[in-house]
Amino acid sequence: MKRSIPNQILLYVVLVVTAVIVLFPLYQAIITSLASEADVSNYPPKILPSAFRLQNFLDAMTTAPIPRYLLNSIIQASIVTTSHLILASLAAYAFAFIEFRFKQFFFLLFLSTMMIPWEATIIPNYMTIVNDLRLKDNFIGLTLPYLATAFGTFMLRQFFLSIPRDLYDAAVIDGCGRIRFLITIAVPLARPALGTLAVFSFLQTYNQYLWPLLVTNDQNMRTVQIGLALLQDQERFLWNVVMAGVVMILLPTFILFIVGNRQLIRGLTAGAVKG
Amino acid sequence: MKRKMLFVMVVLSLIVSACATPAPVVEPTASGPSKFAFWHAMGGTNGEAVVEMMKRFNASQTACIGEAVFQGSYDDSLNKLKAGLQSKDIPAAVQMFDLATQVLIDLQVIAPMQDFVDADKFSLADYETNVLGYYTVNGKLYGMPFNTSNPMLYYNKDMFKAAGLDPAKPPRTYAEVLDAAKKLTKKDGDKVTQYGYSMAIYGWFFEQLLASSGAYYLDNANGRDARATKATFNNPEGVAILKWWKEGYDAGVFGNFGRPTADTQKAFDAQQTAMMIESTAGLRSRLSAAAGKFELGTGFLPRPDEATFTKSGTIIGGASVYILKDRPQAEQDCAWQFVKFTVSPDIQAYWHTASGYYPVTKKAYDIATDKEWVAKYPQFLTAVDQLHAAPNNRYTQGALTGVMPAARARIENAIEEVVLGKSTPQQALDAAATDVTKLIADYNKSVGK
Repeated sequence: MKRSIPNQILLYVVLVVTAVIVLFPLYQAIITSLASEADVSNYPPKILPSAFRLQNFLDAMTTAPIPRYLLNSIIQASIVTTSHLILASLAAYAFAFIEFRFKQFFFLLFLSTMMIPWEATIIPNYMTIVNDLRLKDNFIGLTLPYLATAFGTFMLRQFFLSIPRDLYDAAVIDGCGRIRFLITIAVPLARPALGTLAVFSFLQTYNQYLWPLLVTNDQNMRTVQIGLALLQDQERFLWNVVMAGVVMILLPTFILFIVGNRQLIRGLTAGAVKG
Repeated sequence: MKRKMLFVMVVLSLIVSACATPAPVVEPTASGPSKFAFWHAMGGTNGEAVVEMMKRFNASQTACIGEAVFQGSYDDSLNKLKAGLQSKDIPAAVQMFDLATQVLIDLQVIAPMQDFVDADKFSLADYETNVLGYYTVNGKLYGMPFNTSNPMLYYNKDMFKAAGLDPAKPPRTYAEVLDAAKKLTKKDGDKVTQYGYSMAIYGWFFEQLLASSGAYYLDNANGRDARATKATFNNPEGVAILKWWKEGYDAGVFGNFGRPTADTQKAFDAQQTAMMIESTAGLRSRLSAAAGKFELGTGFLPRPDEATFTKSGTIIGGASVYILKDRPQAEQDCAWQFVKFTVSPDIQAYWHTASGYYPVTKKAYDIATDKEWVAKYPQFLTAVDQLHAAPNNRYTQGALTGVMPAARARIENAIEEVVLGKSTPQQALDAAATDVTKLIADYNKSVGK
């Protein structure tokens, strides 16, 4: 589709402006993380970096054990993401391809859990996990309430439903069992949805603050968002150190996004029903 | 297939290793030091100072080993404490902000500090009566003050000189502040480049201004003669505060940087406003930000008129340490030893110079490090002078009710309404008082009173 030159230029201008607006907070965070305390209180704020103070990163790591927290967060988020991918695929497969009694009812039950605000479940979860099961300060306590996802089930079910019925029928005729169909055909086709779910689940778990705060006391088990809170002090807010912490914490999400993105694109160009 | 198996093994081993991580158990041992936990809400450099304090405590004796655990903000810390009460997943000592005093008393989880003081025959003679007064309910001291602050006026001496004002004499009354602000505001065409005065929309400031005006926030003498049943902050003094706020804002000389105190602080550091009120706890930060740029001045919190300076004063802010009674006695005793340690003159001097919170014991001022520090930075004494100049009465002891955090948030809404011109000061405060009275009634019912 050929575009005329003025249209092309307009398009690029719009794209560049949007990119600048979206990227500016990130850019600001990075240059603040490299600035000195005096630079931060300059007004108007400088657009170009004024210093290159890597000491901020060291300060952030002495105030809060960021590397340890990063490790904990990555492990926690990985466990939850893996569980989401597995459980949601299985449940979505059942809802999409298998007929069973009360299927509609169970599906609505799943969906209804999405309408419960998380604030309402925090205290009952705490009571169960910490009081009854005595699971504080370990990864099980951190991840257990969040291992299943109604949202993921819903999204994958929608995707599975879009796989042509012919494909399923053809596979069944050829003697393909249910699990084999799921693993060899449905899941590879669902790569974009799975990639999206993985990124979404990882980020959601990575950003958790209150739940890890409640179930952990041990410095070695805490997660990254608590670390960020630890860097902030109401009376003496050191923006440059806080931003250094923020930049360090952003890195895993970037890496994840690059990986997840590849799955997304690969899935989009995957095979389909032929003929 | 092989890779899949490997993946499954890795996941399983992660889960197994997670199981194997032992949960740290705090229990007294028959032989060897007792361990106890201290939950606090200090982040940043203050948090490091707390960790340092605990290290020094542990090094100073062998009977107890304490661990300082950061629990987020004061609000997060209180929520976590409430959640852990049922299973006794609570520490022996917890730092809790002033507003939570009534809540903790009603939850009946405190082992009153008074009991430890009496048992140990600990002398409170050298301690600031005004500070202890806040945490004394019905004659009993419940918590030991830990980090105590006052709000005060910060001003930019260089800007004062440039505007022809005397940098050694900061304004003291609302009218004087307004006048000074008018002279200090600089405009560039239509846009203001430098505001004369600014204060964050923070409920604590309203409480302080009201108390120092000599008026009650709640009935029953701020809830201290008897349990509070209704809010009374919509009295003439409260209205006067918001009227003054609105007047300055309408005149274009009061800057509004929103609710987060950090934003107004940064505006002051960046010299966008010539004056502001803030806690003395941020003094250290203000000094480093001003270093090399301008000379920092501090003054008393403004009052409606000169006479009120003797009638009343500011309420102490900050937090105190409570010992919780549902932990084994050995841990509670260790917690008491820790509390005694933190209020000793040496540690108070360390805390004073490291933060800006002022000492709770007068003996701290005799410590050499403290003396040198205040000689170099006399601003550190302003809050203390303000404390000593204030009488210890029901105004300065502060309001006591279980819904203080919610009341504070409701006042912030009222302030915003007034500043944005949506209601008059009287209307906004009346509406807020009705809401807060209802909250108080619900709370009192919930604790069976």
